[in-house]
Amino acid sequence: MDLSAIPLLSITTFLPILGAIFLLLLRPEKTKTAYAIGITTTALTLLSAILIWVRGIGPGISQVEEFSWIPSIDIAYRLGVDGISYPLVLLTAVLFLTSLIFSSKIKDNANIFIELVLLLETACLGVFLSLDLFLFYVFFEITLVGMYFIIAKWGHEHRRKAALTFFIYTLVGSLFLLLAFLGLYLFSSPNTFDMQQLIANPQITGMAATLTFWGLFIAFAIKTPLFPFHTWLPLAHTEAPAAGSAILAGVLLKLGTYGFIRFPLQMTPDAFREFAPYIIVIAVITALYGAFVALAQTDIKRMVAYTSVNHMGYLVFGVAIAAATTTASGMIALDGAVLQMISHGVVTGVLFLLVGALQDRTKTRDMDQMSGLLRAYPLLSGMFIVAAFASLGLPGLAHFPAEFQIFLGGFDVYPVAVGFIIIGLPLTTALYLRAIQKVFLGTLPKAYTPQPDLDRRELWAIVPLIAATVIIGVYPDSLLSIIHATTKLFGL
Amino acid sequence: MSQMAMDLIAIAPLLIVAATAVVVLCMEMARLPRPGVWMLTIGMTIATGTAISMLGTDTTAFSQTFRVDALSLWAVVILAPATILFALMGRAELKNTPREGTVYSLMVFGALGAMILAGSGDLMFIVLGLLIGTLSGTAMAAHPRDTFSSEGAMKYFIYGSVAGAIMLFGITFWVGLTGTTLISGLSNPGLSSSVVLIGFISLIMGLGYAASLFPVHFWTPDTFEGAPVSVAAYLSVIPKIGALFALTQVVRDLPVSVVDWPLILAVIAALSMTYGNVVALWQDNVVRLLAYSTIAQSGYYLLGVIGFGQSTLALDSLVVFGVAYMLMNTGAFAITLAEGTKLDDFKNIGRWRPWPAVGMTVFLLSLVGMPPLAGFAGKFLLFGTAIQTGYTWLAVIAILNSAISLAVYMRIVVPMFFHESETKEPLSYAPGTSIVWISTFVLTIFVGIGVQWFLN
Repeated sequence: MDLSAIPLLSITTFLPILGAIFLLLLRPEKTKTAYAIGITTTALTLLSAILIWVRGIGPGISQVEEFSWIPSIDIAYRLGVDGISYPLVLLTAVLFLTSLIFSSKIKDNANIFIELVLLLETACLGVFLSLDLFLFYVFFEITLVGMYFIIAKWGHEHRRKAALTFFIYTLVGSLFLLLAFLGLYLFSSPNTFDMQQLIANPQITGMAATLTFWGLFIAFAIKTPLFPFHTWLPLAHTEAPAAGSAILAGVLLKLGTYGFIRFPLQMTPDAFREFAPYIIVIAVITALYGAFVALAQTDIKRMVAYTSVNHMGYLVFGVAIAAATTTASGMIALDGAVLQMISHGVVTGVLFLLVGALQDRTKTRDMDQMSGLLRAYPLLSGMFIVAAFASLGLPGLAHFPAEFQIFLGGFDVYPVAVGFIIIGLPLTTALYLRAIQKVFLGTLPKAYTPQPDLDRRELWAIVPLIAATVIIGVYPDSLLSIIHATTKLFGL
Repeated sequence: MSQMAMDLIAIAPLLIVAATAVVVLCMEMARLPRPGVWMLTIGMTIATGTAISMLGTDTTAFSQTFRVDALSLWAVVILAPATILFALMGRAELKNTPREGTVYSLMVFGALGAMILAGSGDLMFIVLGLLIGTLSGTAMAAHPRDTFSSEGAMKYFIYGSVAGAIMLFGITFWVGLTGTTLISGLSNPGLSSSVVLIGFISLIMGLGYAASLFPVHFWTPDTFEGAPVSVAAYLSVIPKIGALFALTQVVRDLPVSVVDWPLILAVIAALSMTYGNVVALWQDNVVRLLAYSTIAQSGYYLLGVIGFGQSTLALDSLVVFGVAYMLMNTGAFAITLAEGTKLDDFKNIGRWRPWPAVGMTVFLLSLVGMPPLAGFAGKFLLFGTAIQTGYTWLAVIAILNSAISLAVYMRIVVPMFFHESETKEPLSYAPGTSIVWISTFVLTIFVGIGVQWFLN
């Protein structure tokens, strides 16, 4: 079969929503049928995403699918991939599949839950594949609506407050994004929303570029999130259901970091270069702040949430280094940052699933109330320890190659900043070791009646992610080769 | 063809609307409200079709006193179908009340007033259109004849009279200055700034009243609450679009060098948006909440007026947001009409009546400006207009307001899906209400995706 003639990108993007519509029409009575449909859909989406790889990811934007939409103001349906967006597409497809498998225990309004998850998947894939500002924005906003309802309906105790905070907070960010997009459009000539042209030939200069850059910055800083815009994150991550947290941390945060690379770095490069030192300072503060606050948590889910803030600090640091310099170090840091997106997605995704599994069993997230669980749940504990080690940056696991490259690239340009940001590493090590010690080591309370260890459903969700963690750690070049081919073109 | 015949053909849509109003009134005289609604539907459909067929025309009628251009034709295309929707809602709400047919007839008369406003080429047309709108609006608002509706109608009337009087007073300065009542007489950079400014401020008083702009919005919540829901919905759409289009007709001829009208309008826009959204945060009555929301939406709408003549997106933004606002606002009112006007009435309807709940959510998110809904397309163009005109600060205020408005509208969405309630007794929607909310629901989604058809 000739793969080149098939609009694979559109199929990948819209398969989930088609599954959702199918589910909406079918309205299966049994939740099992509903999950079977949902999981099949996400599995097919993953397959379709893999086929994109098989077809070949070019260094530049390739496999473009274009279709006229609002020609009067040059808005079109444009999709395409390159080495930066493709790994994220793959990550999205994998995480949604595993999250849906993991959450198949949710029986309350299961149909609607699955429909929302599928809607969210289409929106996330659409964001990564869009090559048109308008289309990007449409998908970007739909993610908010989907996630809002998932948190508000299936979350924990303070779900409604968390969901509303998330919705309003991130909406402010995306509205700034809207203004910045309009700026990019109005200052391009001929006026266009086509991202390929805006990337190939960034025309915006002067005050307009500065304003646009800061508009983009606020939007993505809230989404990522960076200090001091991070306050929505711990609440939303803690209150969301386990699969929701995994998707939120694994995919939705990447909308922000992907945005940092795609828009400020590629479309307003000069403004980004000018302001890179400020961004670096913010990134360092974010990384350290996240680590310190995570250290102070007793709620294990909140702790994992704050380590996300820490990791996002590293990531944006890498992007800012790439913006600041034109030497090869910038490219190294950018490679690291892109890989960090994937590593963080996989590792934090699995950590949230494991925390969910833990909470299902212990009915608490308070680390002070847990102890000696290694004895009760050896499998779960083992997986958690591997994931935690990956998260703290142990060589051989996913985060190490990414963070190593970020610091390596950064050291050449801003050694002092690296000196500061690297303090985050021992802090995360400390907090994870402390958590492991508290929760899994020690003695199991006598009164505790253990429940079964990880069941098949949970293993199907968790094992693939743990495997990915190891693969990325041991053989990062599997992804780095694609990423590097693209970053080379950035002219850094 | 004589000039007279050409002029009459040029204003054919308005003539059809006027004829419809008379026919509907005759139906009421014969006490036949149901056929009245039918006649209204047919007449307004013909008017819409005529206006659509004329789109692209740009001429004037009756020695430049009436303009047949994109604005006035689009006003017909938006307002005539809207009148049908409001009449259907009115039928659902007022069925078998005494004199219900008068409401339908007044709706058409009021729409005629708004259409006249939208095509004003002469200051006297603005006065005329505003008067027709105020009088028919007052009578409709008072239709239930109870304390609340009388109070609301009284407020609408008195505000209208005072604002109209101030406007007339100010306009006489313009006429004295230019020696003509034609709006085009103002396009002379040599005019005295202060006198033009007096006229402009008083004009805003008159038109701002109809469009419920800050600071002449005070009648809005009370009148809406007292009036039938269908009339409140009507008042939130028809006079507003007419008045804002009339304002556009004036500012397009007003040199910025004489009066910095974009700045004046920008300040009013910022105040309207902020006031409307912030005060809406504390409302427990859905109609009052929507009333404050319409004040805020008028503020957004002004962004398009501000950019007129300077931005390539301005005309498109006025049209697309007009269409979007009409659809989403009407839909929200239709569901309120069926479900009840208290926030508590909305508790848990997501469980008992999922589709109307989804519909309401779509209308409200569209009002916030969520893509890919109609409201987003409108706001997208409005913000683009503001930035292109150099009013980035206003666009920033508008987006911050959009975020506040999300908090406002979520006050309705949250109880629908996340509040427990007693078992709701099954509620069957009146056919008219169902037609209105389903058609606006489909179009709210469709217009967001098919914006291309509305661009000039």
